[in-house]
Parts: sequence; structure tokens; C-alpha cells
Amino acid sequence: MDADSENDFREFVDHRSPALLRTAMLLSGGDRHAAEDLLQSALMKVAGRWHRVEDPEAYVRQVLYRQQIGIWRVRGRRRELTVASPPEGRSADGAGAAELRVLMRQALGRLTQRQRTVLALRYFEDLPEGEVARLLGCSVGTVRSTTHRSLAKLRRVAPELFTTEADHSGPCHELSSVEVQR
Amino acid sequence: MNVQELVRDTFQDWSQEEVRPSPDLADRVLRARRRRRARGFAAVAAALVAVVVTAAALPALTGRTDRVRPASFAETVLAHPDQSPPRELIAAGDIAVSAFSGTKWVEQSNGDKVLTRAWQVHNPATGRYERTEWAWLDVAPGLETAAVLEGELPARRIGLLDTSTGKVDRWIEVDRGLASVEWSPDGKRLLATTYSKNPDRFSHDKPMNVNGKEEPGPVQSRTGFYVLDVASGNAEWTERPFDRDRSGFPGNAREDFAWSHDGSLVWAPSMYAPGRIFYDLDGRRMPAPKAEKHVGYPEAGLSPDGRRVAGDFAGADDGINSWVLDAATGRRVEVVPGQQLLAWADDSHLIAWGCDPKRCSGRGEFRNQLLVVSLTSKKVIPLSGFRKAAADGEGRWTPVFSRK
Repeated sequence: MDADSENDFREFVDHRSPALLRTAMLLSGGDRHAAEDLLQSALMKVAGRWHRVEDPEAYVRQVLYRQQIGIWRVRGRRRELTVASPPEGRSADGAGAAELRVLMRQALGRLTQRQRTVLALRYFEDLPEGEVARLLGCSVGTVRSTTHRSLAKLRRVAPELFTTEADHSGPCHELSSVEVQR
Repeated sequence: MNVQELVRDTFQDWSQEEVRPSPDLADRVLRARRRRRARGFAAVAAALVAVVVTAAALPALTGRTDRVRPASFAETVLAHPDQSPPRELIAAGDIAVSAFSGTKWVEQSNGDKVLTRAWQVHNPATGRYERTEWAWLDVAPGLETAAVLEGELPARRIGLLDTSTGKVDRWIEVDRGLASVEWSPDGKRLLATTYSKNPDRFSHDKPMNVNGKEEPGPVQSRTGFYVLDVASGNAEWTERPFDRDRSGFPGNAREDFAWSHDGSLVWAPSMYAPGRIFYDLDGRRMPAPKAEKHVGYPEAGLSPDGRRVAGDFAGADDGINSWVLDAATGRRVEVVPGQQLLAWADDSHLIAWGCDPKRCSGRGEFRNQLLVVSLTSKKVIPLSGFRKAAADGEGRWTPVFSRK
């Protein structure tokens, strides 16, 4: 990397690293150290091919997601975040939106990295299942089943957030009928 | 609000929170990258998926002191003894199985037959081996980039494949046909062997007699080799056709060049011991480098520190063993419980094929698995499941080793 490229890289990091770190925080379930590690290794990768990458931010985001899945695959589920106490057992009935989100955040922190990554791609990046599958190098069926299991786990670890409605004609339908009482 | 909406809402809310990266983040990344390049890890990042590499690399990345280099060799081992062919990364010491291939003969309508390879290459982003359609490939140190050739060989260009995305980032065009390519030990140059015909196509016009039956035979067409500088794309070609065999034996059609241990010379295989003929980069025949004088047919060759050489089969008195030689004298100094020595994991460990202990003494020596064997202990670590004893096909996979 020559001096001009290094300056461009510094400028990119200065401008975009806050947003990228926020994404890394989502993927790490709020673990600041893990998020920094994830972002730094993704930035190293983009620095290594700075001349060849047209859209560095998109590239870094892709590396963040793929790396997260890769770490999961090698380490298994050991990096699942443990929390000191389970999410509060209060009813969601009277909770405001902000409180619900705090509860949900704790619940998301208890998912595996893979589950959180797939949910982030589906519901934060708003990518269709096929695109998530392409990005992560797995099948659409895997994306679908991981999404299914992740949402089911959220319901299991934080049952107070959800109540189920009638109809259980199939697994997908069962999930789509899960509602939050506000 | 249903669960999906709440998840979406939570992510959005979370992503709006103010988090400030370290103000010198860019400089830290650049410094870490320079340090790592200096250490020879030219291409690193996605290999961080490996626990071992993470442990080794992160202190440089983060400056944090709570992670340390692996304390023992065992911590560097990624083994999947239940997998054959492997699905997830296999590694030990400084070496990883970066790719592997299976072969099969494909009969052609004109009576020729072509040996075709099915390659799977490790994707650092997913941690898994993935199928590719390339006719030939070799993975650079760091496991991030592979040099690939398109079929049918010979090819007219080399692709530099990003192993994380499966896409070719760059093509290097050449004037002559290529049928093999190998990365230099430092990952900066490529050695590509040139042929005028596909060396894996056996021709019905050149029949050979196999057990009293006429079969399509090999056609020698090697013309020489290119040495390519990867950064600039400059390619220097040297004419070095197939050396006709003294005995008149037709020999192989594929006689690829390979790098010497330090990347200063190239060598081609020879039927005669010790099995390697060395050339300089201008194609002049050279004596074997001093350290490689006793390197023979076993692929592992010289140890990283240049003190030991992987030797041949040492008999099966107490199991299937191989010799390890002193590089300076050629003297047999150790015996290790490996059937075939493939690569040095570090100065005292080798990756080898080892056969099924229950069947080694009988007919089953071809049913073998990857093992780590040690010069300092009798302990053997299985790395993969057992290969099928078939002559070809996916079950008979052949590993490609690259430095991590």
C-alpha cells in the first residue's frame, strides 16, 4: 500500500468505522471486545486488497458477516454469550417499546453467533433468503431453518416477550403467528 | 408487533447507539498488517477462523495481552478424524490442507481418455472445503488466494481466486499453454509448467500395452516453464522440454516443475534416484542445493529448519514406518510411524498417510488417513478419516498443503 492509499484507507476508517463497529456489535451480541476484534480483522482484509475493492464498506460488511459465520463453524457453539442473569421475568404487557427492545437485546445476546448473524442479515440488512444464502455460502434451506430456530429460541429464552396465537399448521406458520403484546 | 418486527426494531435501535472505535484504529490496522507481512503472513485475515491462528495473531492486532501464542503443538492441530474427504479445515503446526482433489478417467468419443480432477478448496470465510470447477489449482500461503487454471488444459491464463468469495480477482494472460501452477514458498511468484498438449489426455494414437491390452498412452509435450511475478504480472518463459529417458521408457506425460525449498531453483521429477533434477530459472541444469542433496521421492522433502529430510518406507516390523534422514549426511536418524511422509508441520512433526492399523499388515494398506507423526514422541494424531482404497474417485482424495 503506498502513502496515498494509506491516506485513503485512514479516511475511510475515520468516516465509516463507527457505523461498521455498530454492525459488529450487533453480530457479537453486544460484546465490545469481540466486535473490535471482528472489525479489525475485516479492516485488515480490506487493507490487503485496497486497490481491488470498489466498494470498501460493502466489502467490510460482507467480511464481517462471513467471518462471523466462519468463527462459528470452527468454534462450534462455545462462543455463545452467557449473561449473568436471565432476561428479567417481568411481563411485557405493560412494557414500553424501549423496555421491550432491551429485553429483546438480552435475548439476542443469548443466541449463537450464527443465529444472530442470520437474523441480522434478514432483519437488519433486510436481505432476502436467497441473498443471505449466497453471502454465507449455504443453502436457502439452511437460512430458513436457522431463522426458524433462532426465532424459536428467542421465544424460549424470553417467553415473557411473546404469546402465541392459534393455528399451528406448520413450522413456518407457527412462527409467523407469534405476536408480541404491547 | 410480531417477533420479526421486534427483532428488526431492536437491531435498528441498537445500531443507532453511539459507539466510538479507537481513534487510531486505521493506524493500528496498518501497523498490524505490516508486522504480519514481515512475519511472512502475507495474506491472513480470514484464516482467523482457525482458533489457533486467532490465538497467534490477535495480540498483534489488538495490542491486548490476554491472548497468547499456542503453548504447545497440540493446540495448533485442527483434526477431523471422522471426515473423509474432509469437510472442515485440517491443519497442524504451520501447515493446512488448503485444498484436495480426486481424479477419474473420462473416456472420450475418439478413444482417448482424460484424467480429470475434482478440486475442493478451503473457504476461510466458512471454514469449509467447497467444490470448484477448475482444472488445476494451488493455494498461496495464507489460504486467501488460489492460482487456478481452466479446463481443458493447457490453459492460456492464470486466475487469482479469492478463496473467500470463490471469484477470480485477476487474470494473468500468457502466450503458452499451462497445465500446472505452483506458488513460490514466499507467495510472491508462480511457477507454471507449459505444455503444447493436455498432459492428462492419453491418446489412442499412442497406445501402450497394459497387461496385454492396448490402452491410450501418454503423449509428452512439455515445453518449459514460466516464472511469474504476481504483483506485476511479469512472466518469464524458459524452454525446457521433457528430458528423454535414458532407458527409452515412454515416461509420464505430466512432468511438472516445482520450486526448490528456498525458491531459488526449480526441479523436475526423475525416474532415477534421488528423484529430482534441479535447474536455475534460466533452465540450466544445476546440482542439488546442499541442503536438498538427500531429498528423494517423499513429498515432505526438507524440514523448515533445513536439518532433516523425509525419507522412504522403513519396513513394517512394528507397524508401517518411514525414515527421517539427516539433511547434511543423508544418514537415517529417526523412524516415524507414517506410511508416506507428505509435509512438515514444523521442525519436529510431519503430516503423513497412515494405514488402518487393523488392516495394515494385510491387503488394506491403501485405506489410509492423514496423521501427524512426531520425531520426539511416539504419539500419533489422526487428522482425517480413512481414504477409500479405490484407485480414483472422490473417496481417494489427495491433499494440497499450504502454509497458514
